[in-house]
Amino acid sequence: MAYKRESLENMTVNELKDICWDKDIKGVSKKPKVVIIDKIMEKYGAKERASITPAKSPAPMKGLSGEFESELTNPSGRTGDKTTTTIQVSCGASSGRFPVVGRTVREVSEFLKEILNVDSLSAGLVNGREVSSDYVLKSKDTLEFIKPSGRKG
Amino acid sequence: MRIVIVGLGGIGSILSEKLARYLKHITDEQFNLIFMDGDDYETKNLVRQEFETYGNKAEVKAAEIFNKFEIPVKPYPYFINGDNIDAIIQGNDIVMLCVDNHKTRRLVSNYCSLLDNITLISGGNDFIDGNVQIYVRRNGQDITADLTTYHPEIKEPKDKSPEDMSCEELEKSEPQLYFTNLTVATIMCWAFYNIITKKKIGIGEVYFDIETMSVNSQLREPNKGE
Repeated sequence: MAYKRESLENMTVNELKDICWDKDIKGVSKKPKVVIIDKIMEKYGAKERASITPAKSPAPMKGLSGEFESELTNPSGRTGDKTTTTIQVSCGASSGRFPVVGRTVREVSEFLKEILNVDSLSAGLVNGREVSSDYVLKSKDTLEFIKPSGRKG
Repeated sequence: MRIVIVGLGGIGSILSEKLARYLKHITDEQFNLIFMDGDDYETKNLVRQEFETYGNKAEVKAAEIFNKFEIPVKPYPYFINGDNIDAIIQGNDIVMLCVDNHKTRRLVSNYCSLLDNITLISGGNDFIDGNVQIYVRRNGQDITADLTTYHPEIKEPKDKSPEDMSCEELEKSEPQLYFTNLTVATIMCWAFYNIITKKKIGIGEVYFDIETMSVNSQLREPNKGE
């Protein structure tokens, strides 16, 4: 069966992992949704992939997802001929550099909820200070979503 | 220097021995060690708590530390609460908080915020991840944030302290992993070492995740840097 990217994007991470299980696609545990989709598309992508309809507006972090892998594996690397500015984004023990300059905290939050597979994130802290979700990220900012404390002991 | 360990369960029973070994063999500091826990060590705790005999955790561990390291420890076989906290925690103490509920974390943090000089190192975990918070207060000023400033779940806790729980609730415990308790205890030792060697403390919180094998430290400015 050939899959269309658009239909995969409408699935949950768990549904995508079920497909990977059925198709014996390895290495998807803990991977972001976009990476899992890429892996499925590599082996079972529909031929019309090149003519995929652009994502519906607003699709806030669609542009980001395309660069996510390369930015993580090579944070200071180039995408094409253009150097991408990345900033540090963290939540709990997880952190990475993401090309989110110019994005609002809310947009990044929506994106990370999908990556981290969590229902909600705290208000963002930019450079250690609480900001509104409409704050637009600048280069050299750091963004943290506070993970709740462990309860047991 | 007084070192108070509150809670001697999965984290505290491990931490107490590491601290005692360090204090006995490494440091020249004069210190008093105080253990506090109202709970008993039972068979169900065997998989992740380090005790050699059954009985009240504070008393059993105090005896074990004395036997192993010849360090006298004052045990308090009670849960900490609003009525006894001022008898246990004093100014200039280093408090190692190893409890299993946010309500007690709030109680201790709020009390410490009333003292001029205090170091509060608090650890907590879920199954495979957790965090350590380091609240330092000097000369009446917060150097790092207290336990509640960045954590609404501690500021407005929805859980109960052990004293508020029924026997059935106390019996019912969520599964925990020994390695996770061990990691919290280890990171609490890092913080302790930095405090007593007088190194500058800027880090206010350390997160870890065993599954992703990652650790992340954060500054925690008082009042969120405002």
